Amino acid sequence: MRDVVVVGGSIAALSAVETLRMEDFDGRITVLSDEDLPPYTRVPLSKGVLAGSETADDVVLAPLSDAVDLHLRTPATGLDTGNQLVLTPAGPVPYDGLVVATGARARRIGTANQAERVLRSCDDGLRLRDSLGRASAVLIVGGGYLGMEIASTACALGRDVTVVDLAPPLDRLLGTAVGGHVRSVAERAGVRFVLTRGGVRLLGTPFPSAVETADGQRLEADLVVSAVGDVPNVEWLAGSGLPVAGGVLVDERCRVSPQVVAAGDVTVLTTGDGALTRIPSWTNAVEQARAAAKALLRGEDAPVYRPSRYSWTEQFGLDVKMVGSGDPQGEPAVLDGSLDAGSALLAWPDAAAPQTVVAVNHPTPPAKLKRLLKPVTLGALVC
Amino acid sequence: MKVVADRERCEGHGLCADTAPEVYELDDDAIVVLVHEIVPPQLERKAEGGARVCPVAALRVEA
Repeated sequence: MRDVVVVGGSIAALSAVETLRMEDFDGRITVLSDEDLPPYTRVPLSKGVLAGSETADDVVLAPLSDAVDLHLRTPATGLDTGNQLVLTPAGPVPYDGLVVATGARARRIGTANQAERVLRSCDDGLRLRDSLGRASAVLIVGGGYLGMEIASTACALGRDVTVVDLAPPLDRLLGTAVGGHVRSVAERAGVRFVLTRGGVRLLGTPFPSAVETADGQRLEADLVVSAVGDVPNVEWLAGSGLPVAGGVLVDERCRVSPQVVAAGDVTVLTTGDGALTRIPSWTNAVEQARAAAKALLRGEDAPVYRPSRYSWTEQFGLDVKMVGSGDPQGEPAVLDGSLDAGSALLAWPDAAAPQTVVAVNHPTPPAKLKRLLKPVTLGALVC
Repeated sequence: MKVVADRERCEGHGLCADTAPEVYELDDDAIVVLVHEIVPPQLERKAEGGARVCPVAALRVEA
């Protein structure tokens, strides 16, 4: 293998490149990114960037070495696996090894004539910051990590904040115990939650200025932000023959075909029981890209990818770190502290064999949290 | 090579220490601590790798 092309310009692409070089790949590496900026971290976009305390310069990651050919503003528009070419507006780029790391984009629920506000790219973050500066009432559709972090930042800026969702925000991600705790802290900070089982429709053009719930309730705001999940960027792979099922389907070593691997938000993994899942997190992008790069170079001899399942959120003064399987339900075992006292280390389903551990404002490093988990065997994520 | 750690930005995710334990450690509050004031030449690549995976861009590498 002499010519590796990495399609994507975020942390998965960067981690793949770095791993290829660490593994002593000395051929050519070409990175095709549709971004205007060199690789940056999205994590501060909903926090410091939105608050106006950080700029694009603050989120850009340490640059790639000169031994990599980085093309910005160069989207991949197609893939010809027969001739091993990535198609771009600037012409085809040949490869003999390919890393698919095109990530995902914000899911949208508005109509074509609406300029829906979302937060995914650095540009989105800077635009939203400016809009937030002019708004007094903010309505956020979607109460996942992103929606709630936007709510937290808007609240800290003194805005009147409403979050609307299908189910109690964060319960699906953090379980009802921690989800309920975060919501109560958010409510004390002034956030209003509206639940609507039937979803919402965005009203107003070009910029949405209200939503209508399925039961006819109308909620108005100066600024409406959609934080309703993400969609893998796979359209460029249409007709390539690569397996796509709501994302690029990878095997247990992140391979897609003998010359192609994939990593990060664009991928779909198979769990132990055969179900498909996505792990759209920073940690997964880094670790999966490392595994993918090794599999590209070493094939069957590369280690099987085992996600470490670490995620976190920072909002309303709460620092929440989670390891293990998501969606812990029921009451946790308390390993240390308490939620009421403001700092807690919690485990599910019990203290003897934790499958999920959550630290809330508790200074346990993630590596230690991971060591608290008991290895899962049945129904484990194998990929 | 020198690494500059912004301990105010650090959120203690520990990816730097996972990537390059010879260069980065976490203290009792899970905040990054640099093992070397000046990174030894043989650890420079690892130091860069550890800096790059910081999700809050709290680590800067200076030549």
